[in-house]
Parts: sequence; structure tokens; C-alpha cells
Amino acid sequence: MTQILIQGLLLSGLYALIAMGFTLIFSIGRILNLAYGAYLLIGGYTYFYVAQTLGMPKIAGVLLAAILGCVMGLLKYRLLVKPLKGDHVAVEISSLILAVVLQAGVVLLFGDSSKILLPIIPGVERIGGAAIPYSNLFAAVASWVILISLYLFVRKTHTGRAMQAVSMDPKGAAISGIDADRINMITWGISGTLGAVAGVFFASYTQLYPGMWVAPLIIAVAVVIVGGIGSIIGTLIVAHIIGFMEVMTSAFIAPELRGVMTMVLIIAVLILRPKGLFGREEL
Amino acid sequence: MSMSLTITNLVKKFGGLTATNDLSFTIEAGQSVGLIGPNGAGKTTVFSQVMGEHRQTSGSIKLGSEEISSLSTPARIRRGVSRTYQVPRPFSDMTVAENIRVGLMPDSVLGMILKGANTDRELELALSVGFSEDDLERTPAELSMGDLRKLEMARTMATDPKVMLLDEVFAGLTVAEIAMISDLVQKMRADGMTFLIVSHDLKALEPLVDTAIAINYGSMIAEGSYGDVMASDAVRASYLGEA
Amino acid sequence: MGLRWYHFAAWAAFVGFMFLLPEMVSKGTLRIIIFANFLAVFAISWDVLSGRTGYVSFGHPFLIGIGAYTTAILTKRFDVPVEISIPIAVFVTMIGGLIVVLPALRIKGSYFALITLAYMELIYQLVQVVRPDLTGGTRGMSGLPTLTRGAVNGYYMSLTLMVIVAFGVWLVMRTRIGTALSAIGMNEEAVKGSGLSVTRLKLFAFLLSAMIAGLGGAFYVHYLGSIAPRALFDINFVFTIIVAALIGGASTTIGPIIGAFFLTFLLEYLRPYLPGAERYFIYGGVALLLYMYQPKGIYEIIQQGWARVRART
Repeated sequence: MTQILIQGLLLSGLYALIAMGFTLIFSIGRILNLAYGAYLLIGGYTYFYVAQTLGMPKIAGVLLAAILGCVMGLLKYRLLVKPLKGDHVAVEISSLILAVVLQAGVVLLFGDSSKILLPIIPGVERIGGAAIPYSNLFAAVASWVILISLYLFVRKTHTGRAMQAVSMDPKGAAISGIDADRINMITWGISGTLGAVAGVFFASYTQLYPGMWVAPLIIAVAVVIVGGIGSIIGTLIVAHIIGFMEVMTSAFIAPELRGVMTMVLIIAVLILRPKGLFGREEL
Repeated sequence: MSMSLTITNLVKKFGGLTATNDLSFTIEAGQSVGLIGPNGAGKTTVFSQVMGEHRQTSGSIKLGSEEISSLSTPARIRRGVSRTYQVPRPFSDMTVAENIRVGLMPDSVLGMILKGANTDRELELALSVGFSEDDLERTPAELSMGDLRKLEMARTMATDPKVMLLDEVFAGLTVAEIAMISDLVQKMRADGMTFLIVSHDLKALEPLVDTAIAINYGSMIAEGSYGDVMASDAVRASYLGEA
Repeated sequence: MGLRWYHFAAWAAFVGFMFLLPEMVSKGTLRIIIFANFLAVFAISWDVLSGRTGYVSFGHPFLIGIGAYTTAILTKRFDVPVEISIPIAVFVTMIGGLIVVLPALRIKGSYFALITLAYMELIYQLVQVVRPDLTGGTRGMSGLPTLTRGAVNGYYMSLTLMVIVAFGVWLVMRTRIGTALSAIGMNEEAVKGSGLSVTRLKLFAFLLSAMIAGLGGAFYVHYLGSIAPRALFDINFVFTIIVAALIGGASTTIGPIIGAFFLTFLLEYLRPYLPGAERYFIYGGVALLLYMYQPKGIYEIIQQGWARVRART
């Protein structure tokens, strides 16, 4: 029981971090960024290259991953989202194409085979019969620190409040003199950063391979769908619902079915409550 | 053939806001009624309830003797009530002829497949709202606001309505276009069409209606001949912004 | 319907040319074209639903997979002859797809795309764990009965299938139903406002799409003689289908065919220079640029070019 509780908490923390960057974009522009998984891919591989291939300090790997993720987010907004302004279907389709291109780019640079990421912090802690790698613990703690900082940023700073305003009412925000383009840029930058950092942690949880972007994308999508339009708190809650559901499914039913439950949940919520469990909320 | 439209005790609430407040009126078959009131009075909400785009909170809507307030929008249109929209909604990548064609289609998949388009009727409808034969192949991107309203009118007429609801049909039209649409409405009135017309252009509206209904905050404030309604204190006050 | 003699002449020329092709090209090229033919069938199926009505499906292999698995299981595990299993597979695809997608058809826009993606992931995971004795689990099935032997016969079979599907869809879409489906893609509310039941139209589009997907999936599996969940329920496969329809020209019949051939040959001609999976990089990049440049696809580019040439002379 303790084991399930701990594993559930750790996994959910990571899922919350993964979903957050996706939620931000969705709440600001109602855009489903299907290339979001690619940020995780790029983050994971950047860390791998810097920290493991080049042997630089691990913190440098995380930082460079974050910077590259940020740049990717900004570029995507400038070159793809803005030119296709308003046409959501076109943005989604081109995002999907972009994700496949980036995946192919990773294959080009690093090859097709999967890579094992060395633990960020080696060692294992035993709690009540459960073996908890320090890495996972670190990932969960780091996720929480990032999420709390993000929450404070959105609530307390001027830029954060401007983001809230754009997410609630873009026209009203424009009238009150908020530069929506600037807010969008910032949001896409933050989203890319979050995705890339989440990618480092996610890859250390599982492993690094070119197709690894699909699973976290599905999780992020599930969180947005189940939670309704993304608020930070709602994202946290739903990430825990999904995280615990997966841990309990693997513990009590069958490990192979953990993903199935997530899909069933997405489908059931979409059909029964198209606006999500928590309906529309502010950021 | 023409039909009457009867609305009884219609109420529509959006959360705490009452958009339609116990509204009742009858338009006899072949009559034309103007629906007037200041901006936000709830005129368009009445239209959308008659069409079933919004479901009323309570009350009844009858087309002839048939209760239609629980039917879907397409079912109501097939019974014979149809409307135009303040903001025209053309099918952007289709020609004028194809836009009208959608309005002429039967609501059956087999019917659509087995029978070809009635191009004669498409032309007839296009000509009746003032398009020329050359306009049939033009696309909405090439049309003016006036042309788009004419197209909206033609597509609405294509559904063969017995009762037509016109929402701001004169907005954005030139004087010549207003005259042309007016003539068209007059001709259809002579043929027995029932009309409910919303327009801010009161000068254009006046000759088109037999009687008028004024509403404000979703409630009826005056009903009667056009002149009486416009002269009533309540209507004058509502337009000056005091309810 | 606006059918003219030159429409049929164009079809006859196209079919005639395609049937003579095995005389002109190598067996290797023929095998490439076989894949293009199947891809064209899948892209047409996607386009009937998504290209026309704007209800974008990101999980089309879900439908293809139902058809493919149904006939694979029937022939392999129950020794049902192919002539019977394929019609059953098509039927199961239509009905099975309908049962799960029916509630989703009222969900608009991005959410519809996501729910189809979720369905694909769901079936991908389910076929691996539920009754692996039937589905073959993660490894799939091989040694399925094949319909043809050799490249030339396989080519004729795939070509016949593609031509029948394309011509059938072309005929149906030239009628008023094609106009009505495109109208949904442009403005669903206005279609309702014209007195048409949108749900019924979407249902028709879905059933037609599922029928073609089931047919294509079933024939494909009996061409390959094997089935593997990893390759079938793959996001790259979704991508290839959607891109074929879009860069060829969505909401047309010829567009998905052009797109399928363009993509297949692009992929093949890159093979000597980039032997690995890296060619998806170039291939995806070209697709992205083409889509950003002209979302209406190659067919539109050709038409505009043709109009310019005619305007000059």
C-alpha cells in the first residue's frame, strides 16, 4: 500500500510537469500543440548528449535542454502558429508533421536504437519494501518546485496576470492594452522549456528513443481533456488521477493495461462530459 | 400556401439573465410583422428560439397548429420556417449556385445522391434576389456585403419557407440594393408569405410590415400598427435608453 | 451531376495507362506503386470523412486495423476463405467503427481529432494484451493467405481496388451529397440552417470512410500476408495517410491519389541517399513546407499553374 502511494505520488508529479506546458498553450490559444511531445524528445536527447556523451556537468545538461526547448517553442510560434493564425486544424496538422520531422531529425543525429539515461542522482532508497530510485524522487521534487514557481509567476507577476487575462478573454485583454503577441511568445517559450525539462526526467524514468514523444503527448492530452480547459490546479488534480490510476492498474490488474485505462478515461470523459470534469476555469 | 406563427409565454433564461420574458404574440398567415427594440432587447434570441438554435426555458412555439418547440432546427425548417442571419454565413469555397444548391437539397442521403441539382431553380432564385446569370459562378470572396445578404436570402428562400424571419437584411446594403430586397419582400407578401422582420433601418422597415411589436429586456412593451408602436411612450423611452 | 464525356475519357486514359504500366517499368518500381495504390485508398478513405467534413481523424489506422485484424483472424484462426472473410471484415469495420465513433460525432474540432487518436492507441494496446492467442499479441500474425503471387499480379489487384474505390467515390461526391459534405466542412451551422440533418450526413461520411478503410485494410493484409500492430497503429502511418490526402489536395478525389504517389516516390527516391529512417526528415520537411505554402495541396497548385498558362495564351 505504501508502495502504491509513493509510486503514485512520484509518477503523478512528473505527469503534472509533462502536462503543464501543454495546458498553458491550450489555455492561451485553445491550440492543441501536437508537437509538444517533441520538446520532451529534444530535452531528453540534449541532456543525454551534453551530460553523457560530452561528459559535462549534469546541471549544464538540464540547462541546455531547457534553453533549447525554449528556443523551439519560440520558433514554432513564430514560424508555424503565427502564419497559420486562427486555423486550428491547420496548426494541429502541421504540428503533427513537425513532430514526425523532429523525430526523424533525432534518428538522423543519434540513430534508431534506444539509449539508457544514467540516473541524475544514483542510488535507491527503500521505504516500506518499496525501492525508490533517488532519480525519481528528485524528478518529483523538481517537478513540484517548478510547478509552484509557475503558479506564483502566473498569480503574482504582471506578465503572469497578463497571461491569465489573455486566456480568459483575448479581446478584452487586447482592449486593456496587453500585447497578446508578446504574451503568446512568452507562453510558447515557457511551454517549450517545461516540455524539455520534463523530457529529461521522463527519459530517466523510462528510456530514450526516437518514438518516446507519443506517450507523454497522450498523457498531456488526457490531462487537458479530463481536466477541461487547463487551470494549474486542475492540471495537478487530473495528473494525480491519471498517475494513481496507472499505478493501481499495474499493481492490481495487469501492467500491460496501464495505458489502456488512460485511453478509456479520455474516451469516456470526452463522450460523457465534453467540457471535462472541471469545466472551464481560469488559468 | 401560407402559415401562421404563434408564440405563447416564451421564456429564455441564460444563467441569471432573462433574455426573453413571457413573450406572447401571433402572426397570422400572410401577415408581416416588424420586431423592433433597442440593441440587446432580445430580438435575435427570439429568432434563435423559433428556429431551435436555442431551446426555450419554457413556453410554446406553434407553426400553424403544430407545436414545433421540441423539434430540431432542420426539422423546423422542413415544416416551413426559415431565417436569415445578421452576419451572412456563406460556404466560402463554393460558388453562388452551389450555396443555393445546399438550401435546395432534400434532407435525405439517397435523395441527394440519386437526383441531380435543379439548376433551373438555382438560377431562378439567384435572379429573384437580383443576381445576374454570370454571378452564379462567383465565390463569396468576390462578393460585396450586399451580395452576401442577397445570397443568404436566396439560400433561405430555397428551403421553401412558409414563414420567414429576416434579421437585419438591410444592414450594409446600398440604397439600390435596399430597394431591390424591399421589392422582393413586397412581392413575396403579395404571394402570401408570412414575415417577422428585424431591422434597424426603420424607414425601410415601415412599408414592409402590417403591424409591429416592440420589445425591451425580453418583454413586450408595445404592439399594434407600426405608427402606434413607434409613437408609444414606452418605445420612445426604450430607444432613449430608459426602460 | 454534371458528368461530361471528357470526364470518362480522362478516367479511361488514366486506367489504360496504369494497366499498361507493368510493360514499361521494372518489378521493383511496380512494388513501390503497389504501396502507392494502397496508400491512395487509405488517403481517399481519410479524405471522405476528414478532408470533406473537417472532422479530422488522427486515428484512421484504427478503422484500417479493424478490417485487417478481422480478416486476418478469420482466415488464420478459423480457416474462413478469403472471399467470405473480406466482406465480413468490411462489415465489421463499418459497424464496429460506428458503435465507438457514433457518440464522438457530436464532438467538434480538435476534440474529435484527439478522441480518434485515443481510439488508435487503445486498440493498439488492446490487441497486444487481449486474447493474444487470436491476435498474435505484440508480434502480430504471419503466414496469412495471400490473394496474389508476384509483383505484376499484386500490382493489378491493388490497382483494381484503387480504381474502383476512386471512381466510386468520385461518382458519389459529384452528386449533391459531395456538395453537402464539403458544406459541413465550411460551416456546419449554416448547413443546419439550410434544413439538413448534419448528423445523418456525418454518419454517411463516416460509414463510407469506414467501408473504404476496411476494404483497403483487408486487401492490404492479404497482399502482405502478415500483420504487425507496431507498424499498423503507428503515428508515422497516420502521418503518411493525412499528408498524402492534404498535400495532394483534400476534398477532391484525385488529390489523395496524387499525394499518395508523390509521397511514395519521394520516399523511394530518397532511399539511395538516405538509406535509414532519416529520410522521413526530408520527406516530412518537404510535406510541411508544401502544406504551409498551399494548404489546398498539389492539385490546387497544378490548377492555378494551368490557369496562368491559359491566361497567357
